[in-house]
Amino acid sequence: MTELLVKNACVIDPLNRISMEIMDLPIRDGRIVESVSSVADVIDAQGCLTLPGGIDSHSHVCGTKVNFGRYMSPEDMRAGRTARRGKMHVTSGYYVPTTFGNSYRYSTMGYTTVLEGAMAPLEARHTHEEFTATPHQDMMANTLFDGNWAIMEAVQKHDVRKAAAIVAWTLSAVKGYSIKLTNPGGTEAWGWGEDVSSVHEQVPNFNVTPAEIITTMIQANELLHLPHSVHLHCNNLGKPGNFQTTLETFDLVPDSNNGRQTLYATHVQFHAYGGTTWQNINSKAEEISRSVNAKPQIVMDMGQIMFGRTMTMTADGPMEFNLYRLHHNKWSNHDVELETGSGIIPVLYSKKSLVNCVMWAIGLELALLTKNPYQCLLATDNPNGAPFVKYPEIIGLLMSKRYRDEECATLHSGTGQRTVISSIDREMDWNEIAIMTRAGQAKALGIITQGKGHLGLGAEADVAIYPIRCRDVDPSTEYRKVTEGFQKTMYTIKRGRVIARNGEVIVEGANSTFWVNPSVPEEINVADDPEFVKKFKEYYTVRMSNYPVQDVYLPRGKCIRTEAMR
Amino acid sequence: MKAILNTGRTISQGVEVEHKGSPVYRAAVSVCYMNPVDLMDLGIEEGARVVLTSRAGSIVLTTWTAEGVNRGEVFVPLGPYANHIISAETHATGMPDFKGEPVEINPTEERVKDIGSVMEEIGGLWYDH
Amino acid sequence: MIIKDVVCPFCGCLCDDLEVEVDGQRVIRVQNGCALAESTFTGSNRLPAPIRRNAMGWEEISYDDAISDAADILLSADRPLLYGWSSTHGETQSCGVHIAELIGGVIDNTSTVCHGPSILAIQEVGHPGCTLGQVKNRADVIVYWGCNPAEAHPRHMSRYTTFATGFFVPEARHGRTVIVVDTRRTESAEIADEFIRIERGGDYEVLSALRAIVQGKSSIIPSEVAGVSREQLIRVSEICKKAKFGAIFFGLGLTMSAGKYKNVRNAIELTDELNRHTKFTISPLRGHSNVYGSNEVFTWITGYPYAVDFARGIAFYNPGETTAVDILQRGECDAALIVASDPGAHFPHSAAAHLAKIPTILIDPHQTATTPLCRLQIPCTMTGIDAEGTAYRMDGVPIRYKKIIESSYPDDAYLLRRIHDRIREVQGA
Repeated sequence: MTELLVKNACVIDPLNRISMEIMDLPIRDGRIVESVSSVADVIDAQGCLTLPGGIDSHSHVCGTKVNFGRYMSPEDMRAGRTARRGKMHVTSGYYVPTTFGNSYRYSTMGYTTVLEGAMAPLEARHTHEEFTATPHQDMMANTLFDGNWAIMEAVQKHDVRKAAAIVAWTLSAVKGYSIKLTNPGGTEAWGWGEDVSSVHEQVPNFNVTPAEIITTMIQANELLHLPHSVHLHCNNLGKPGNFQTTLETFDLVPDSNNGRQTLYATHVQFHAYGGTTWQNINSKAEEISRSVNAKPQIVMDMGQIMFGRTMTMTADGPMEFNLYRLHHNKWSNHDVELETGSGIIPVLYSKKSLVNCVMWAIGLELALLTKNPYQCLLATDNPNGAPFVKYPEIIGLLMSKRYRDEECATLHSGTGQRTVISSIDREMDWNEIAIMTRAGQAKALGIITQGKGHLGLGAEADVAIYPIRCRDVDPSTEYRKVTEGFQKTMYTIKRGRVIARNGEVIVEGANSTFWVNPSVPEEINVADDPEFVKKFKEYYTVRMSNYPVQDVYLPRGKCIRTEAMR
Repeated sequence: MKAILNTGRTISQGVEVEHKGSPVYRAAVSVCYMNPVDLMDLGIEEGARVVLTSRAGSIVLTTWTAEGVNRGEVFVPLGPYANHIISAETHATGMPDFKGEPVEINPTEERVKDIGSVMEEIGGLWYDH
Repeated sequence: MIIKDVVCPFCGCLCDDLEVEVDGQRVIRVQNGCALAESTFTGSNRLPAPIRRNAMGWEEISYDDAISDAADILLSADRPLLYGWSSTHGETQSCGVHIAELIGGVIDNTSTVCHGPSILAIQEVGHPGCTLGQVKNRADVIVYWGCNPAEAHPRHMSRYTTFATGFFVPEARHGRTVIVVDTRRTESAEIADEFIRIERGGDYEVLSALRAIVQGKSSIIPSEVAGVSREQLIRVSEICKKAKFGAIFFGLGLTMSAGKYKNVRNAIELTDELNRHTKFTISPLRGHSNVYGSNEVFTWITGYPYAVDFARGIAFYNPGETTAVDILQRGECDAALIVASDPGAHFPHSAAAHLAKIPTILIDPHQTATTPLCRLQIPCTMTGIDAEGTAYRMDGVPIRYKKIIESSYPDDAYLLRRIHDRIREVQGA
């Protein structure tokens, strides 16, 4: 039995409606409890900002394409390297850190749970191996279904139950957490070097449209009672004028769940462009946020870009190829049979580029124009928009109009005409920031019941204590203190153990992986469907019996069982 | 005769790769595939032995013919015999010149060494169990 | 007893459809495998016990003594080299990296003498690739450049390319055009629709010529490039541009010939060029079944796929300096740990000779050409036969090797863990 008492914490816990209350947090055996004995270890938070551990709801940190990004970028590995120190292994990488690099840097920032943005089922084993090597964050995997042949066949036949059965089998086989759709239909078209350009365009050879894939999968998701909603990277990412596609997509989404959103739209900044070409591209954040404000069934994340070099990596193969055509940088591609695709290319976001300035503004606009902070979460689609170590700067910008104005003054002179950022006075407060970086994620991902995202009784004791006395700091003017304060916790506690202190990780990790095992009625279990089995054997290059991820890959797996409605 | 040395995998080399002490492995890798016209120019028949000499050393091999091998080239399966005469120079790439090493070929009566002897030449001690 | 869906631990094809019949501790029959698989599973000749070289010759020693000696050797070294890793599974590879980190050594894997140059090229220009099933199901044009799958990857063509039936290529062989490029007419060339015979060292020029033609500049091509006629070059470019899906596979013909990584870079850039016209991918034919695994494991832990030097306390990577052949050639290392590979057979002997001069530990189930050079050999399980673990196929797909027989040998991961723990213990004291 291990006991810890955090005293004098200035707690903000939006899910329990606690806002800047000085209180104690008694912790026993990894959970928040009513009280602890006098022999408990004591940490004095000295009145500093104390939040539930940070949760990243969309980050590319583990798996095939992330590792591709690493080994093709020795120059980035060199840029971000740190030496072995105490319990900490060497790390390398600035935009695409090694797994230990990611884990230590997230811990330093107070983050204790991460959703891996994309995992191809065929390569899930790789993602799980890297999860184990990211030892200080609980992990879970968005599982890619956007180009899945069996799914598209079910969609074509309007067979939602079949689609649900395929999802159920796949998620439990590869120990995934949620349904991820990246450019649905487009990744299959990319198998031939093509793409889809609207939600109503037919996917070549499969007779389905992205809209049909999205709506069927949403229904299947709800049928299976999955904790998270469908997680969608819309079609037409990055193209001028794509806001139309985004609005059309949002209009497809019913309100099918009382506890959470029905669609999580990710990195929406990349999907909020007006105009028709790079020459006249402008921000449509107002239109997008207007749509989201009217639709409680949609939650999005910002997909904020920050200036500087970074690495783009997504399952959206055709989009990455277009970036290659634009920038002529080193380009990698990795299509996964019967399932999805991926592409990787380094980019530079520059203040000299009007387009990049517009992109930077859009991310902030989305957050500031969305009324309910639970509906627009803080993320950069790490590393696509920026490496996650830039989150504190984004917090500073959201909380301070002055900081934004100072930044805007350094941008391309044409930015003002294409964006509305300078006209927005709103400044997020501490509570809203806490929602955008942990409470909102916990709700959207469906992990509040797992004890994440809050500090109420029974919650997992994932706690981040930042060196900020929020009652004494005016974030509007003292944004530097805000930014610096969020960069490095005084303490990061995970399941009641102090993991990091002032930037130093002091123990070896023992993270858990959350996964979902949805059970469906026997009669629709695809493992017993001769057609499914036959096609698997004919078209995959791996045997069906070798496909599932064995238990040994999840030493501390946390399985969430759900029952599908008949 | 001068030639360019090419090395690489063959089925018979691969099949025996976990039995490096065996005579079958030795037979598979201590060979030198040559174009039949080159053999003729050297004045020897297939099966005769030649000594290949490079900047890195020399080794005795048994000849075989292969139409597929160009004139002026020889192909030796990868293994301790080929590596006995390949230089460790990598031109700062980490990769030696496994393909393209220039060699001198001369017929010889010397015997093909067994692997133990080849390894002992570079400081090893063969183990017999 | 018959075990199905067994994963073959020999080459990078990582076929997982083998049926193996075992009788007690022995494999008596293999179905579906190629000749290389057959010999891997049914072979014997494993070293029965650890052996150590002393002044008189060789003696058998206990596992405990061997592990203790190994730890001592590594602890006393200033610049240890940890090499190999390709024929074993992920846990072992991971442990090896952690040991290297603890002792400030250099860790390298067999890519260094195989597809290292391909990795260097990828680090310059990226890698437009795909999983093998994409090729099987879609490719109507297959190019084998500088490789001989008939001998080195015998089932590649039947499982993944030429002879395989795919969803979009139901006629298999009849639905595909096969182009083979090599300096000599190999077994693989015999089944090609187009065989391009290149003069030795001419790959780079031919690749450049093809790139020029694909870009519409065929007028600058002379009548012959490196022994290949202009007509053939134009014909092949047309085949590629008209393909619905083209897949290039390449091997040591590019990585080992003059130019090395520049050859591969040019091939990748040709693929990029072709992607502006149609869909094209390029992939290396990895040799060992789990060499890609060692690249993956090294990368997610250290940031670099091979040749990683921990001497400075950071992960440092500089092929040519931190690569095994160069370190041995310079006589730079003063101890070596060789796991799951055979530098005695596969390194130039002037480099391999250094292994005999320093205390070298070999962890390998068989007597190999490195055995005579080492000071200490510790036999272990054969991954995929009496040990299970993760492997990464040549296209990055991870598959778990099965354990199909029990044996009394220790898993090499277990041996390394014990060596690691012993080193930690001594360092902590």
